[in-house]
This record gives sequence, C-alpha cells and structure tokens, in this order.
Amino acid sequence: MAIVKATKTPARSAPISESSILGWLQKNLFSSAFNSVLTVFTTYIIYLTVNGVYIWGFADATFVAETRRECYGNSLTGACWAGVIDWLDNIFYGRYPREEIWRINFGGILLAFWMAPLWIARAKGKVLVGASVVVFYPFLAGYLFSGGDKGLFMQVMISGAIVAFAINMANAIAGLLKQQSIVRLVIGSLGQTNAADKTQRNLLIALVAVGFGAAYLWQSSWTVEFVTWTKWGGLFLTLVISGIGIASALPGGIILALGRRSKLPVLRVLSTGFIEVFRSVPLITVLFMATTMFPLFMPEGFVLNKLVQVIIAVVLFNACYMAETVRAGLQAIPKGQFEGAHTIGLGYWGTMGLIIMPQALKHMIPNIVGSFIGLLKDTTLVSIIGLFDILGMLRSISKDVPWLGLHKEPLIFGAILFFIICFAMSKYSRHLEVKLSAGNNH
Amino acid sequence: MSNAQIQGQLASAISSEVMIEVNKMNKWYGSFHVLKDIDLTVHKGERIVVCGPSGSGKSTLIRCINALEEHQEGDIIVDGIKLGKNLKNLDHIRTEVGMVFQNFNLFPHLTILENLTLGPVWVRKMAKADAIETAMMYLERVKIPEQADKYPGQMSGGQQQRVAIARSLCMSPKIMLFDEPTSALDPEMIKEVLDTMVDLAETGMTMIVVTHEMGFAKTIADEVIFMDEGDIVERNKPEEFFGNPEHERTQKFLSQIL
Repeated sequence: MAIVKATKTPARSAPISESSILGWLQKNLFSSAFNSVLTVFTTYIIYLTVNGVYIWGFADATFVAETRRECYGNSLTGACWAGVIDWLDNIFYGRYPREEIWRINFGGILLAFWMAPLWIARAKGKVLVGASVVVFYPFLAGYLFSGGDKGLFMQVMISGAIVAFAINMANAIAGLLKQQSIVRLVIGSLGQTNAADKTQRNLLIALVAVGFGAAYLWQSSWTVEFVTWTKWGGLFLTLVISGIGIASALPGGIILALGRRSKLPVLRVLSTGFIEVFRSVPLITVLFMATTMFPLFMPEGFVLNKLVQVIIAVVLFNACYMAETVRAGLQAIPKGQFEGAHTIGLGYWGTMGLIIMPQALKHMIPNIVGSFIGLLKDTTLVSIIGLFDILGMLRSISKDVPWLGLHKEPLIFGAILFFIICFAMSKYSRHLEVKLSAGNNH
Repeated sequence: MSNAQIQGQLASAISSEVMIEVNKMNKWYGSFHVLKDIDLTVHKGERIVVCGPSGSGKSTLIRCINALEEHQEGDIIVDGIKLGKNLKNLDHIRTEVGMVFQNFNLFPHLTILENLTLGPVWVRKMAKADAIETAMMYLERVKIPEQADKYPGQMSGGQQQRVAIARSLCMSPKIMLFDEPTSALDPEMIKEVLDTMVDLAETGMTMIVVTHEMGFAKTIADEVIFMDEGDIVERNKPEEFFGNPEHERTQKFLSQIL
C-alpha cells in the first residue's frame, strides 16, 4: 500500500446540532423523552418562582406610602417598598447630617476619578497613580468625612492630595489626548526635552512645589463642619470599613506571607504565630476583643474610638487570611524562577518584587477577590457590636414607628445591594484574569 | 575518525589567568554525599564539557560554582572571590557568572525584551535605552530579534533557550555555565541551540557545559570531564577522551552513549 488518498478532502459544514439554536435545543434540552419531561417540569418551576416574585415585588407592591398600614391598605399580597424608599438616605449614609451628605458623595466621586486612569489603557504611570491613591486619598477623604479643625499634618497631607489629584487628572488627559505622560508634555512645552536629567528634575520639583504652595494656601481658606463618627452609618460606613480593610489586607498579607516563608527563624515564628492565632478565632470574637478587651490593656486616659478599633481588628483579621492566600500563590511558583532571578544577580527584594510576586498575584486574583467579597460581607458583623452599618440601618427600619415590623423588604433590598456590589467585584476579577493572562499561556 | 577531525575546529584562546578554582570541595544533600573532594581549575577562555551518568553530581557541581547550592567543605574561588556566607559576594558572583538551565527559567510574565533588560536595568543600573540596545544586539546574535515583544510562552523551546542564553549574556558575564541546555528540547531544536553555543565559544567565553551532546563536546571542548558518583573520574583533551579513554568507568559510559 502506498498512497492512501491522492486528493485533499474538502471541508464540509457542521451538522445542524452544532450550528443552529434549534439544533442546540434538541441536543441539550430534548435529547430523550425523559429529558424533555425534565425540561418542561423545570421550566414550570422557574415560571412559578419568577411569577411569584414578580407579583409580590412589582405587580402588587406599594412604592408610595406614609406608613406600613397604608401599604396594607393598598395591597396585602405585595411588598411594601415605600418603607425602604423612605429610609433610603439612612440606608446609604446612616445618621450623617443631611445637609453634609454631599461630602460623602464628593469623596466617592473623587475616588472614582482618581482611580479612573488605572482603567484607561492610554494613561501613563499607572503605578504612581495607584501609589498616590493609597498615600494621599485616605487623608483627604478622612477630612472630608469627619471635618473639623485641620492640624498641620492634615493640612500638609490634604495639600499633597490636592496636588497629586491635579497631576493625576492632567496626566490622564495628556495620556488620552497626546498619548504622553504629563511630565513629558510639560518638559516638552517648556522646550527642555533635551536638557540634562538633573535640570528636568529640578524644574519638575519647582513646579510641584509651586502647586503645593498654592494648594496649601487654598485649603487653609476653608474648613468643613465636624461630624462625629457615631453619626457615620449605612452603606457608607460599610464601605469605609471594608475599603480600608481591602486596601490594607493585601499589603499586610504579603508582608505576613513573606515573613512566614522567611529564612530568619524569629520572623518566621512570629508571622506564623500571628497568622494562626487570628485565623483560629472567629471575626466576631476578634471584634469583641478589639472593642472591649483592647482598651483594658491601654494606659489610663488613652481612648481610641470604637470605629478605629473595629477597623484595626478587621484589617488584622483579613491580613492573616490574605497571608495564607498569598503563601499558596508563592508556593505555586516553580523553583526555577527563583534560580533564574538569582542568576541575573537580583537580590531578595528584586526577586520577590519583580519576578515572584507579579506571577503569584496573577494566579491568586480569584482567591484574593474571593477574600475581598468575604471581607465586605463580614463587615456587617460590626452591627452586632453597635455600629450602625448597612445591616444595622436595615434592621432599624422595623423599629421605626411608621414602619413597625417591616423586616422582609429592607433585608431583601440589602441582599440585592450586596449582590450588585459583590457580583461587580467578581466580574471585574474575571476581567482582570483574562486581561493579565493575555499572551502568557504557559 | 582521525584525530584532526576530532580536534576542535575552534582555535582556543586559553590564557594563564585562572577563572575558577575548586579545592577539595565536598557537598552533601542531607546525609547523601553528592560531591567528593572535587578539585577543578578552569582558566580564562577555557571551554569544558562535563559528562557522566545521571546522579553523578555534574549539575550540582556547576550549581555550586554559581552559588545556587551551598557546599559544606573546601573552597570555590570564582574570579578571585571566595564563595561563602557573604551575601554581597554571592550577588557579585552571580552577576559575573551566567547560567543557562535545562528548563530555560525565563520569566513568563515579561516579554522577551523585558526578560533581557531586567538584569542590566535593576542590577547593573544601566539606562533603559542602553539596556534595550544591548538586548537587541544579543537577540540579533542568537538570531531572533523579531521576537523581542513576544512572551516566552509563545515561543518554541529552542527559541526560549536561545533567549535564555541572550539573557545571561546581557549581564556581560565572565563565565557561562550550561546545565544540560538541550535536554528538554525536541530533536529538531537541539541544533539551533548548539549552534548558538558554538558561536559563543568562538568569542572566547569561558564555558562549563554539562551535556550529553558528544558531537558538541568534540567540536568546542578544550577538555572533557567525566564524573561518576560524585568523583571527577577523568579529565582529558576531547581527542584523547573519546579516542582513548583511560578509566574503565569512562569506557563503559562512552560505550553506552556513543
């Protein structure tokens, strides 16, 4: 036998089961009599559920009413959303003074704009943008939210934040319009492109210093009214606690994980002990410890407010969980990567920062975001120790006289809110995974 | 095969300057004695091929020279610097000694160009533009400049290994160590990597190559070392080594692989 087929076989189009909706339906839903019955039955169950929810939540629901009684007067079988709508401000902002709510919204918008360049492909200097958010935003936002007199330190940090924000925005616009970083653009427009590095640097420092001076003068001309933390609440408080938790759990976790894998025995034992203690205790216990036991160990007259204590507890607890996630990611990196890094002369921090962490973090994105989602949801536990976060606010509705006993609707509303936030996070993590693994299929 | 043919086609440029000196070096993995009283001197420009059965300690030997493994007894002196606990010395040695691995060990999250410029920029503190220029020069030399913006995962094994060689060269090392550089490659890719190594040998680089490619050994080696069970059993010129092996263990090994 020699040649089996002398001519090429032409390609044919795929069978109907692979190419059309009808084919798909037949293959996946109605492939046998039993499967057809199952399909019809399941569809019916889904119909019943969706229909029930629709009638209760929309068709028979009351959206406008003054009291719960009025809702009942309207319909007995529908939801009473009027109560939730009436309390919407409380759910979002707690007992924050109504005329000051703009500060919270403004802080949120500021953060969104500050972070936006991270998602704009053409904007330059993303690492600096990220760093500036972490270094400056907390102070600016902290002052916006709590207000009062600015100490010298706060004045400096707020001025820094204003300058950083302005540079960041200018940089994003420069990136979008001219595809250049703001530094290049400024140097170019001053005709200093070919000047020595040192001249350029001095010029930039001078410009930033002038900007800082202007920002300092401007910010000292206004203050915002003091709002005590006990008035913070609702979704705002939940986001503050979990936001700080998320922003610090990852760096904390990385440090703890590196400590646990360190060759230095003291560091290793301390990190391991710290991680294991916090991981073996439920968050609620840690919260109670932080708010009731912690002050006992502090010197007389040293009073930390409860919110700060809670935030410290949340951060430590989650850093320990994150440490284990990071450690798992580090362990998945083959030994050859360390050796490759060593042979080009990179030391410990160079190896970790440039070679190991970037790869490990990429593998860990699903787990990290999973932890973040868990953190956000766990934050609702603070309602147990008397902070009026979103869950606290939702449950207060049923104690408000006009809406006495209204439990179901607020909690469902809260569930929907949480779902939206968590689902968005999860979707974003998926997007990040795909984006970061581009061209990197090993 | 006549001696003239076996003798390397390459003119060797061995100087009297000693690059690597190993004295009575011993290494254990736990209680297992991997390297036993190793003595080895390598001169500048010398090209040495190390062969031997698996588990004989060849890889461990060159990993010790690069300080990737610690040795417990004896001295290793590389370019006048004694390897020991001094971490600063270690980092210095590693920048002077390039190493190419069986599994390439390229950084998968970086492009080829970034793989090549990372060391020069972060360790040698070279300006980025200069580092890119050097990297492109070496990519030309290993004949894959057009792949500069790809990721390692998008290349064939042979190409990855050539990039790994270029990455080491970008640090302008004085010594290059190769740990079975062709063992993980498909047969048709072995040649392109060996050709690159022959080119490198022609530049007068000091090289120690652990390999089973005996043809390659005949072409470039100034001397061939045979290791077995942690001992250097025989060290000889390639023509002698292959034509007239002295030790019985060498004869047995050669009869199995040739």
